[in-house]
Amino acid sequence: MTSASKKRESLLRNNALQTILGSLLCIVIGLLVGYVVLLIINPSGAADAILAILKNFMYYPSAVASMKYFGTTLVKASALLMCSLSVLFAWKVGLFNIGAAGQYVIGAGACIYCGIKFGLPWYVCLLAGIVAAALVGGISGALKAYFNVNEVISCIMLNWIGLYSVNMLLSKVKEQSTPYTKPLSSVNKSALLPNAGLDTLFSNNQFVTIGLPLAVAMAIIVWIVLEKTKFGYELKATGMNKNAAKYCGMKEKRNIIITMMISGGLAGLGAGIFYLTGIEQWMVQQTSIPGMGFNGIAAAFLGGSNPIGVIFSSYFIQHITSGGSYVDKTVYCSQISDLISAFIIYLCGFVLFFKIWINRFLDKRDERQAAKELKGGEE
Amino acid sequence: MDNYAIEMLNITKRFPGIIANDNITLQLKKGEIHALLGENGAGKSTLMSVLFGLYQPEEGEIHKDGRKVVINNPNDANELGIGMVHQHFKLVECFSVLDNIILGVETTKNGFLQKGEARKKVLDLSEKYGLSVDPDALIEDITVGMQQRTEILKMLYRDNEILIFDEPTAVLTPQEIQELMTIMKNLASEGKSILFITHKLGEIMQVADRCSVLRKGKYIGTVDIKDTTPEKLSSMMVGRDVNFIVDKKECKPGEVVLDIENMTVASKRHKNNAVNGVSLQVRRGEIVCIAGIDGNGQTEFVYGLSGLEPLKGGKIVLNGQDVTNSSIRKRLTSGMSHIPEDRHKHGLVLDYSLEDNLVLQRYFEPEFTNKFGFLKRKAIREYANKLIDQYDVRSGQGPITKARSMSGGNQQKAIVAREIDKNPELLIAVQPTRGLDVGAIENVHKELVAQRDAGKGVLLVSLELDEVMNVSDRILVMYEGEIVGEFDPKTVTVEELGLYMAGSKRKEVNTND
Amino acid sequence: MLLLIQYTLIFASVLILVALGGCFSEHSGVINIGLEGIMVMGALGGALTMKYLPGSMAAPLVILLVILASVLVGMIFSLLLGVAAIKFNADQTLVGTALNLLGPAISVVLVRAINTAESADNVSSAVAYGQTKKAFLANIGQFEFNWFMLISFLVLVVSYIVLYKTKFGLRLCACGEHPQAADSVGINVYKMRYAGVLISGALGGLGGLVYITAGVSEWKFENGVAGFGFLALAVMIFGQWKPVNIGLAALLFGLFRALSNVYTGFDTLVALKIPSTVYNMLPYIISLIVLVFVSKKSRAPKAEGIPYDKGQR
Repeated sequence: MTSASKKRESLLRNNALQTILGSLLCIVIGLLVGYVVLLIINPSGAADAILAILKNFMYYPSAVASMKYFGTTLVKASALLMCSLSVLFAWKVGLFNIGAAGQYVIGAGACIYCGIKFGLPWYVCLLAGIVAAALVGGISGALKAYFNVNEVISCIMLNWIGLYSVNMLLSKVKEQSTPYTKPLSSVNKSALLPNAGLDTLFSNNQFVTIGLPLAVAMAIIVWIVLEKTKFGYELKATGMNKNAAKYCGMKEKRNIIITMMISGGLAGLGAGIFYLTGIEQWMVQQTSIPGMGFNGIAAAFLGGSNPIGVIFSSYFIQHITSGGSYVDKTVYCSQISDLISAFIIYLCGFVLFFKIWINRFLDKRDERQAAKELKGGEE
Repeated sequence: MDNYAIEMLNITKRFPGIIANDNITLQLKKGEIHALLGENGAGKSTLMSVLFGLYQPEEGEIHKDGRKVVINNPNDANELGIGMVHQHFKLVECFSVLDNIILGVETTKNGFLQKGEARKKVLDLSEKYGLSVDPDALIEDITVGMQQRTEILKMLYRDNEILIFDEPTAVLTPQEIQELMTIMKNLASEGKSILFITHKLGEIMQVADRCSVLRKGKYIGTVDIKDTTPEKLSSMMVGRDVNFIVDKKECKPGEVVLDIENMTVASKRHKNNAVNGVSLQVRRGEIVCIAGIDGNGQTEFVYGLSGLEPLKGGKIVLNGQDVTNSSIRKRLTSGMSHIPEDRHKHGLVLDYSLEDNLVLQRYFEPEFTNKFGFLKRKAIREYANKLIDQYDVRSGQGPITKARSMSGGNQQKAIVAREIDKNPELLIAVQPTRGLDVGAIENVHKELVAQRDAGKGVLLVSLELDEVMNVSDRILVMYEGEIVGEFDPKTVTVEELGLYMAGSKRKEVNTND
Repeated sequence: MLLLIQYTLIFASVLILVALGGCFSEHSGVINIGLEGIMVMGALGGALTMKYLPGSMAAPLVILLVILASVLVGMIFSLLLGVAAIKFNADQTLVGTALNLLGPAISVVLVRAINTAESADNVSSAVAYGQTKKAFLANIGQFEFNWFMLISFLVLVVSYIVLYKTKFGLRLCACGEHPQAADSVGINVYKMRYAGVLISGALGGLGGLVYITAGVSEWKFENGVAGFGFLALAVMIFGQWKPVNIGLAALLFGLFRALSNVYTGFDTLVALKIPSTVYNMLPYIISLIVLVFVSKKSRAPKAEGIPYDKGQR
């Protein structure tokens, strides 16, 4: 075997590379499936529609408008990044936090309420959102730790309870004539996150705030906590083998609860850096849970459950989700993006198998190679 | 010409990286009891998997009654009349005995299960071969011996002619072993052909007609039992002469390091206590062994002692300190080390690297974590390298090898290294040699004795009577959660221990003298 | 009061069907957390069939075709879980969650496409089936009897018999408890698991159909089925994976769900002045409480959630 091919071989065996390959494959297949669905609905415009999704803000010919909407996509992506960090963090401890959606809702409720009702400044509102969401996450964690309640089911129940509670709570601060909460920009400007000059980078998009760098910083902090600290060592050990964690004296129940609280807090922070920009008002008659938390699952797994990886995957998922609104609405609907990201989650289930398959393939090739060399030696 | 029931001729089975079976031939005569001897990892399981069609061999063929057959799956094997009692029983715990027996060969009428005939056949068979079971009892409620009889009945119910027993005696008392030997002889005299997989030489000498030996995937040979000795068999199995006696100096017990009073632990499986009022002491410089048959409360006893399960009652004093209500971490940092029974369940985080596993008990110490909570990676690497050298832990990539990819023996070595290097006052070792080959077993035994000689207290929990007799300085027998006898290994016989282990004898033990 | 009973029964019917679906899947060893998505897809299949069937068709035929449609769609959709979990050893929770998101997404996209194709201004995700739905109803005095109540009861009885009295049930449960044991006696674990998942798809799909025909005559697919698939899972756990207990648990949960529809009819409840949102939350709160009490010592099939790999023994 030449040294070049050997190098390529070991590169292929690299776990990180396999993860990236797997994710890219998920994206390609996911988009293909989306394309096929569009074809089925109406063949003539399908190619344009999938391009519109991929182009997203680049739809606008002027650079100014394009930058502005790029900013909006980034704002949403930063909230999504927090949700996917929430899912990822719990996953490291072996918990499936499908409750990120509900924790996000609670976080939104708490920070909006504090902002409008009490006129509190942004950092207090943000903190309120984090704490409220962390508490809800903690409930799921405690139920799991002390009563062995499956966290997926308890999270779903809490999602709905959270949605209805927040609707009830925010009805008290809604506008008279509409089902939307009063806009923060008119009621309490101090609750809006500071722009710190970032808005000027995106054609004065006022919604681009310090939330953006904050989210990226959180991703890096999560990475450091998981990879470099004693706490991360314990959490991952608990996730991989909770019996061993208990055996060596880690407090696995406490770790489960703390993890879910942190996880909830991350989702709550996501809600804060979204709603405290004033980009959207809460609609108090919502009957379905905002998709941010669920998309967070897609982003978390697409990013190979790596905190740095999810920065990119979150952006991608948000990019196509936002892109969905640019399809020709007379024929298609924007939810085609939801379909694609749901399918990408589904495909993420196959990534592990994909890795095993690659390794098996490489093993087989090595073996054949070795056999050949052996024979060559005998001759 | 000999009349063979089944022949496996020149079987070769390769897996990536290893040859599990290398040109192995096994010929089973009609009506004989044929032993298959080999260490863990010698290739016995692979060979049996080939016979059952779970693996397809690369080379070699299988003959039944002289004709070539192809076995693609367990169904084919079953149709050829081959049945097996697996080492880990293949029984559905929440099903009844009868349901387990008929599973896979149910009689139905209009789609509904007909259990009447089946019940009659089972009862007839159990009478004929002396295999008493209650067909309606649930598996989870009956003893291990009865579960094994259920497995045997499963084969007989299917009219199997070739019966394979995989390590059948590991879970039985000496008396139950004798019963099993009788049953096996009965079956052979009724014309059944029996393949008996084991690594226990005594049982082979007692019951088998012939014996085939495997070593490291290779076929070593087949011998007639009447022409051989245990010594010959063992050197065939291991490839060198083996000294079964553990060298050790006279035991000089010192002060008490562990004092347990009246420990009681609730059971998860039944209403009675799993551990019921156990009192015992371990002194420095002695190896105390808890002997007993699997499932008599040893596991729960260790869980209670290490803090994995809460106590229902009693008191534990470790090194003069009451740790009854202490956390697991507190116990471990107060001088307790614990080599767990199940290395995959408790002992290792399989997806962690070897180095991360080696600091599993010490990662939080200032040596490995700084005051801001960050791990000192460099110190961990150095420490891991030190242990790897000192205890000869072998792995593909050294400290960064994933524990999952290491061999069982080296995984155990890593655990032993970790637990001993903590420099404990009390070392708890639960079945520390399970699944290891002879070389590794000798190694572990040496380490235990070295700890004893260094003045530590050693509490050994073992199911292997050889180990109990050879390693320990004092034997406590546990039966149904209670200590039913205390013995000196130099004076007691295996038969005597067996009676206590089976619960047919007991004496009041005063261990606090 | 009569209305309360009526709603309780119809919601209980939904829960019985879906929970039994989960029960079959889990007894075979596959956790089906995607029931919610399967319900939506089944509902979609049924709703579209009802929409396109001519109103003049005979009632029994309508019933049959509509049921068949939702059962088939549910089964096909559940295959996504089956293939991933059984063939490719995928994480069952992850794939189930994907189904839950995929179901509503597919149905919204399709329904909107259909609606927009009919008239360019129609961007709603609703399917109306008021006329055809009447085939399922029969008025007994004041009581609006829904054939699905009977069907659910029959399914319950049949499930009990299948699980406990037939060869199939015995083998299915063996696969969920100890697949290695089942394999060793020649049972094809993969096949049984596919069977379990497909049955759950069929029952989940049917449950979805019943849910959207309970009380309303058109369905907005944006809303999915509002967590009902998960309530059914809670019912299954509360019923300890046993059909009869599941039936009783479903009645209890159905009652709480029905309250939110009809509490206005009870003067005492109205007098309490509890906001209607609280009644909406009630089923979820109750199930959370119930789970706290029953999860500790659950009798879940031992091997559920663990992919079966022949090579690993």
